[in-house]
Amino acid sequence: MAAAQGEITQEMFEPVGADKKASEQISRKVVSTWGDAFRRFVKNKGALFSFFILVFIILMALIGPHLNNYGIYNQSLVRSNLPPKISALSWIPAFSGKENGVDIYQQRGVKQDFWFGTDQLGRDQWDRTWAGTQISLIIGLIAALADVFIGVVYGGISGYFGGVTDNILQRIIEIISGIPNLVWIILLILIMQPGLLTITIAILATNWVAMARIVRGEMFQLKSQEFVLASRTLGASDGRIIFRHLIPNSLGMIIVNTMFSIPLAIFFEAFLSFIGLGIRDPQASLGSLINNGFTILQIHPYQTIYPGLIISLLLICFNIVGNGLRDAFDPKLRR
Amino acid sequence: MGKYILKRIFYMLLTFYVVITLTFLSMKLLPGTPFQNAQKLTPTQLNTLKHYYGLDQPVIVQYGKYIWNFIHGDLGTSFQFGNTPVTSLLFQQFPVSLDLGIEAMIIGTIIGILLGIVAGLHHGKTTDWSAMILATFGFSIPSFIFAGILQYCLGVLVQIFPVAGWGGPMTHVLPVTSLAVGVLAEVTIFMRTEMVEVLNQDYIVTAQAKGLTRSAVVFKHAVRNALIPVVTILGPMTAAIITGSVVIEGIFGIPGIGKQFVSSIITNDYPMIMGTTELYSGLFILTILIVDILYGVIDPRIRISGGHS
Amino acid sequence: MEKLLEIQNLNVQFDIFGAHVQAVRGVDLELNIGETLAIVGESGSGKSVTSKAIMGLNPMPPGKVTGGKILYNGQDLAHASDKQMQKIRGKEISMIFQDPMTALNPTMKIGKQIMEGLIKHQNLNKHDARARAIELLSLVGIPNPDKRVEEYPHQFSGGMRQRVVIAIALACNPKILIADEPTTALDVTIQAQILDLMRDIQKKTGTAIILITHDLGVVANLANRVAVMYGGKIVETGTLDEIFYHSKHPYTWGLLSSMPRLHAKTDKLLAIPGTPPDLSDPPKGCPFAPRCPYAMKVCQDHMPDYTKVTDTQKTACWLLDSRAPKVEPPKTVVVGGN
Repeated sequence: MAAAQGEITQEMFEPVGADKKASEQISRKVVSTWGDAFRRFVKNKGALFSFFILVFIILMALIGPHLNNYGIYNQSLVRSNLPPKISALSWIPAFSGKENGVDIYQQRGVKQDFWFGTDQLGRDQWDRTWAGTQISLIIGLIAALADVFIGVVYGGISGYFGGVTDNILQRIIEIISGIPNLVWIILLILIMQPGLLTITIAILATNWVAMARIVRGEMFQLKSQEFVLASRTLGASDGRIIFRHLIPNSLGMIIVNTMFSIPLAIFFEAFLSFIGLGIRDPQASLGSLINNGFTILQIHPYQTIYPGLIISLLLICFNIVGNGLRDAFDPKLRR
Repeated sequence: MGKYILKRIFYMLLTFYVVITLTFLSMKLLPGTPFQNAQKLTPTQLNTLKHYYGLDQPVIVQYGKYIWNFIHGDLGTSFQFGNTPVTSLLFQQFPVSLDLGIEAMIIGTIIGILLGIVAGLHHGKTTDWSAMILATFGFSIPSFIFAGILQYCLGVLVQIFPVAGWGGPMTHVLPVTSLAVGVLAEVTIFMRTEMVEVLNQDYIVTAQAKGLTRSAVVFKHAVRNALIPVVTILGPMTAAIITGSVVIEGIFGIPGIGKQFVSSIITNDYPMIMGTTELYSGLFILTILIVDILYGVIDPRIRISGGHS
Repeated sequence: MEKLLEIQNLNVQFDIFGAHVQAVRGVDLELNIGETLAIVGESGSGKSVTSKAIMGLNPMPPGKVTGGKILYNGQDLAHASDKQMQKIRGKEISMIFQDPMTALNPTMKIGKQIMEGLIKHQNLNKHDARARAIELLSLVGIPNPDKRVEEYPHQFSGGMRQRVVIAIALACNPKILIADEPTTALDVTIQAQILDLMRDIQKKTGTAIILITHDLGVVANLANRVAVMYGGKIVETGTLDEIFYHSKHPYTWGLLSSMPRLHAKTDKLLAIPGTPPDLSDPPKGCPFAPRCPYAMKVCQDHMPDYTKVTDTQKTACWLLDSRAPKVEPPKTVVVGGN
């Protein structure tokens, strides 16, 4: 400071007054909630990586079955239980077409490659695995739709209007959620045939309950906050308050919870198909493929490994992306 | 508090009543006839059977009879097992499933709580995120895949544990572990979140300002407060254990209710399906009731004010 | 007067999101036995961080002491180990917090929360600690103390909880009591009661108090000496009278002008326009310069040294330099018509 004192001259004592611009300047960049959430999500390497894996799985589910022309249902006992073979990658033991050192393809005189091998009936596992993945993704999509169109609306009505409406709607939810999902589905399966339609109806009937509860809580919290009261004081209608204030403010949370309910639904379908109550042969689902492979796991493990790997990846990635989104939207982390 | 418990019990009974009514209705909605090989029976035989089961009476009378029998513990007889009463079959298999479920729940909860505390204390550090990655995997990977991996690796490749069966302690290891992984992961994630939240509370600073040691602050103030909400996931956990045991019992050939349930569905053993459904729902509803009451007992804020909504 | 605590050139920095926020930048302070020192300033001025640094309660990381000393009984608290600090906290130096609604553990009985410190520092057994807890509750003015020790925080009102927090802080007869905005979260009528209680307790126990606040009304009520903080620095210190009636710093003038008064000449409250500086990139010169109506060119690039106005008053402002134009404090500063 002493050195600095030396440079101080008389003319520096000229009054300049407060610098209006500098003192009112907002020192940090203004970031919108969405931009901020996006930035934070992209920064989360694990979540971003999982997101790309999901995109890859979705693309493969769409184009995978068209990459060869064996079809999902084509059977041929000549080519039953063939191990995976990819000629270009045959130096990798897992894709050599050999089992216990014996080249099964040569033994049976099969010329084509089966990238994931074949099942007991000689159906191509590659096509069936991706067809099963399609089923999983459809289930996930249905769960998401159920969340948004039933859960959000139900919870929104219950929370926004409160009072008697809320009381009745909550009693109904209490009864629905008082019964395990498994039991709901079994009851439905008894009445209807096991299959995609039954599982869809079961998801539509039960999967939105958690979302409805969360949205209701959020509505209760938001509608008593000052900015909503202010808007109401200024004469805003119910519709305007709902669509301009309440929904935009809970959208982040709705997205996050949708992301978490997707893997739950996918798991449930795989679980049902695994115990034989979901998608049944000849249709393919990851759960039923794993179940078929299980009986001969010790002899032909590849029949279980690929569908098992894909369902695990699907569930892990959906959960990690969900976590990433939750962290990205969490206002407590926003600085 | 007493009034609150009474209210909860009333709702529990109401829910259970809805469940048994729904099971009755779905039985009525069944396509075709509940009798196996109905085609082979003559119309007279069929009518005798229908009369025997009371199926020729009006639905409302059947419903009344059904409820009456239910209250007296008569759930009908199994089709599969030569007319053995459903109740006695359930009584026979339930202890096995209960044993499996409780072992998995205890192991999963204890390890999960410890792991969650450790992760929460090291919030943002390597310990934390490695615990979280493991928990996310455990939470995501379906229990039947876990069971398959364990069975194949530790039962077939390296033959340490028996591949199937239910008897000595060694037979418990693989199925209990497969079932416990999901519980463990869920408890870890929940406990860690609670710990992080509690450690940011002002009263933790107050405790530090008293000059308490770090371990006293963590165990007397943080852990206790973080543990209370963990009780609330007991309900969803029971549902998960029930679901899980259905596959785990099948995979490891455990003579419990879950394995029985699947075979009942496949063989259309309706009375067994109904009985098991009712048992599962009853168990689940009871857990939710216990959780509600327990939460009131351990959280002084609810204990005094007498209930929450 | 005998020095009890001396802070020398304290620097505290927080590393958050890649930025290094220099919350406290070279603070010098001393506290004498039995006095009440008020640290005044806006939020973000570094007053809370300074007080928490004394207790070693700033979260580290992200916080760290980057320089300076905090001397108490010949011991440097700024660089003491956690073990050493545990012996100081609650026993030698105690703290009262801003929000009594969150400062108490919701699932632990009031009595137990008071007893913890007693058992730890004074080796009392449970029975004696409980008796002392009841004694403390009656000292802070809680009726039926022998019944209320068995109750939980949610059974107490806000003001009563703050009394409990004070009882916890007083448990082991500390030499220094740090009160971080002790009345901010309370109703106005309760505020007066808590201030009375603190004055009363100081009379009975002789504890020195460091009072952190932005409320000059509270300062006038309780303090002997005042330190005014801005932008992580102390810009002026002095006795209560010096700061209220003879202050030399434009920021102190601003603070005094913005205090509402009953018989004011104008019906307008004077606010200080602008916002405090961003301490992740602190200004080179006087931190107040951008908002100061008397700012000169020199203020923008050079931090003024302290000028000794009296034996007890020190001010850091270029206006006190002999070369600066003479400036009179605005009329609004003249307190309460005195």
